[in-house]
Amino acid sequence: MIAKTKNIPDGKKALKELPILHYLDADYVYYPVTSARCPEGETCVRGGQFVNVGEIVGTRKGAFFEQPMHATVSGEVVGYEKHIDQSGKVVDCLIVKNDRKYTLHESIAERSDEEIDALTKEEFIGIVKDAGLVGLGGSAFPTYIKLETKDTINVVIANGVECEPNLIADYSLMMNNPREVIKGLVYAMKASGAPKGIIAIKRKYKEIEERLKFALQEFTEYDIHVVKVGNFYPQGWELAMIKNALGIKIPQGELLSKYGVLNFNVSTLQSIYNAVKKRLPVLERLFTISGDGIHNKNFRTRIGTLVSDLVELAGGYKDEEKSKVMILGGPMMGTNILRDDVVMTHTTTSLIVMNENVEKEEPCIHCASCVYSCPVEIQPVQIMNAYKVRDKDALKMLEVNKCIECGLCSFVCPSKIHLTEYMRSGKRFASK
Amino acid sequence: MQAVKQTSPYVRKDVSTKRMMIDVLIALIPVVAFAIYRFGWDAIIRILVSLVVMIGLEAIAFGMMQKPSKSEKWIERLKSRYENYTINNITASAVSAVIFAMLVPSKLPIYAVIAGASFGIIIAKMLFGGLGSNIFNVAAAGRIFIALALTNMFAGTYVGVDMVAGGTALTTLRSGLLFPSALNSYSISDLFFGNIPGAMGEISAAAILIGAAYLLIRRSADYRVMLSSTLTFMILMFLVGLKLYPGQALDYTLYQLFAGGLMFGVVFMITDPVTSPVTRPGRWLYGLMVGALVVLIRLFGAYPEGFAFALLFSNMFVPLIDYPKWATNKIKPAFVASYVVLLVILGLVVFFGVGGAV
Repeated sequence: MIAKTKNIPDGKKALKELPILHYLDADYVYYPVTSARCPEGETCVRGGQFVNVGEIVGTRKGAFFEQPMHATVSGEVVGYEKHIDQSGKVVDCLIVKNDRKYTLHESIAERSDEEIDALTKEEFIGIVKDAGLVGLGGSAFPTYIKLETKDTINVVIANGVECEPNLIADYSLMMNNPREVIKGLVYAMKASGAPKGIIAIKRKYKEIEERLKFALQEFTEYDIHVVKVGNFYPQGWELAMIKNALGIKIPQGELLSKYGVLNFNVSTLQSIYNAVKKRLPVLERLFTISGDGIHNKNFRTRIGTLVSDLVELAGGYKDEEKSKVMILGGPMMGTNILRDDVVMTHTTTSLIVMNENVEKEEPCIHCASCVYSCPVEIQPVQIMNAYKVRDKDALKMLEVNKCIECGLCSFVCPSKIHLTEYMRSGKRFASK
Repeated sequence: MQAVKQTSPYVRKDVSTKRMMIDVLIALIPVVAFAIYRFGWDAIIRILVSLVVMIGLEAIAFGMMQKPSKSEKWIERLKSRYENYTINNITASAVSAVIFAMLVPSKLPIYAVIAGASFGIIIAKMLFGGLGSNIFNVAAAGRIFIALALTNMFAGTYVGVDMVAGGTALTTLRSGLLFPSALNSYSISDLFFGNIPGAMGEISAAAILIGAAYLLIRRSADYRVMLSSTLTFMILMFLVGLKLYPGQALDYTLYQLFAGGLMFGVVFMITDPVTSPVTRPGRWLYGLMVGALVVLIRLFGAYPEGFAFALLFSNMFVPLIDYPKWATNKIKPAFVASYVVLLVILGLVVFFGVGGAV
């Protein structure tokens, strides 16, 4: 009602109890040649060529960086096909036929601890860059650019908050592989020269706290702490998380490194561990299928697998006659897709299928719930009114560009007005 | 399977405008029940008349404002006018209707009730664009309309149990009776429990407080406006009490608080979100404005009672408070400071303005 809303039903409890199904050998795997951050890309393999696990099959090119693509199975390159990627766009995908032998590429070999200790900052960054690591929390921002910073870093944060409802990838990672997360954090601290590390988790996850603290007993020589932050949404947003975990208030639009902070998702840290220790790129991900329109399942699956295969394995859709809303990612900020013909990429974490529920928009009654709930303290209702009359100056005065599109304004509105959509339109209009 | 297009977020909170309106109606139950207990059929008839007029006129005006479809049959055309008619068009006007009925005295002629309700719903609400677009509080506008247009009808219409018809507790104070002796006519507990003459909904502070508690628990009303206006009112009235009746300042404050329409207005009218600002500091300021204006009207104005006037006057300033250039949802130190300074200035104005023994 007329109050700040922070808690949203997260639906994670039931999902956590589901077993994780391992589905690692799809017949064909697909690698998008381009992505949302990299509008160009090229492949360096021919049809009929044989590739091994970890072999570079192409490069995606972004505005200021390049990102190698790695094969996650061994087998024959078959050709190209169009599929949907994580951002909901149709992209060209390279197809590799899985021979199920999983032969490793000759470059893949474990590094010994002595070798790792001898690595310099530049070498760390080179490893991370060559492994094509990106922010696995969803941003897909290249990890090496974060590490490359010239600023002095005081603290590296492992963000394990995962505040979006229905997502449990980070939770299960910290539950099952806390050591890999911590080692990844140690490597990130070494690479950035930070003396201190922090793992931020939700306050209600007592079991994770115990698990991490137990695992941390092996790492007493490093200054790493578990910090509990609030259970609310959007606590996983890095600025909100840093404010609660460290007490540092960073203005929007500023680089974290200026304030001596680096923030990585826990999955990203695990991938750093794999890249440094095992010389492996990201091969697998936890993928959750949830929502009331589908049989819910957790999968451990290989990058490049088609989501439609997983849907079939999970048992398909429920109530086929009802129209459905399909979402990649979380229900607050995820991407809407119209087909399940999606390729698993590094940042694909979940598919949500919900029965469509049409909400009728009522007139705004100025209750101000959206204003009270906004985490960046702008005024969604005023922005909506300014956008309706196409008032560019007012939109700029109201700082529409601060909006992080977390979706809380639409979520809380008692009149069911889709304010977040007005925010997006307002941003586009103001920057025109 | 049919996949449909939507944009994030895909989940919504389980709240609705309808529920907020119904909450206000539920919160009004104790007040209405007390009015019916006190005034019997007089109250029931006036509430029903007000409900029928407001809901009916809103429905008619709503239909006239919509564009009909081009159809041969008139019944189809009529139906198409009401495609967007929702439960909110009924609940919202029902809230206004009940509040309006609670603002009038029990013996007010029925046609005056009809006139006020019609003015409120047509002029103050539908002409501005209906639900969510009105600038002025609907019930207050209707009440002020009849107060100004049909002034004579209010004389002698305030009735209490075992009492001859006359003015309200506030008019008593106004008509020259000095304060300590006014307490002999109406004690503080009479004022609190509603054993006084007055408009139907205003008399029982106890019933109003029950409604306020419900509204606040359900979070269907913003405590900021309530708190800000009540605090401002009490601080200023206490200062006046200190000046005029040094020994009984507290009694004077409570008398002013419970007599008249302040409590009812603070709980049910000022909290109307449609006519409130949309930011935290804005709402504090709005409350301060209403509270201070009520004090100024009661002390220096031509009317013994001034809540509806104060509210309508403050309503006009809402767009100014919400102006994008300075409206912000952060409570900054500068705002707190200016709030306190405003309060001090107002305090000085009333303290030196009321006269009396210095």
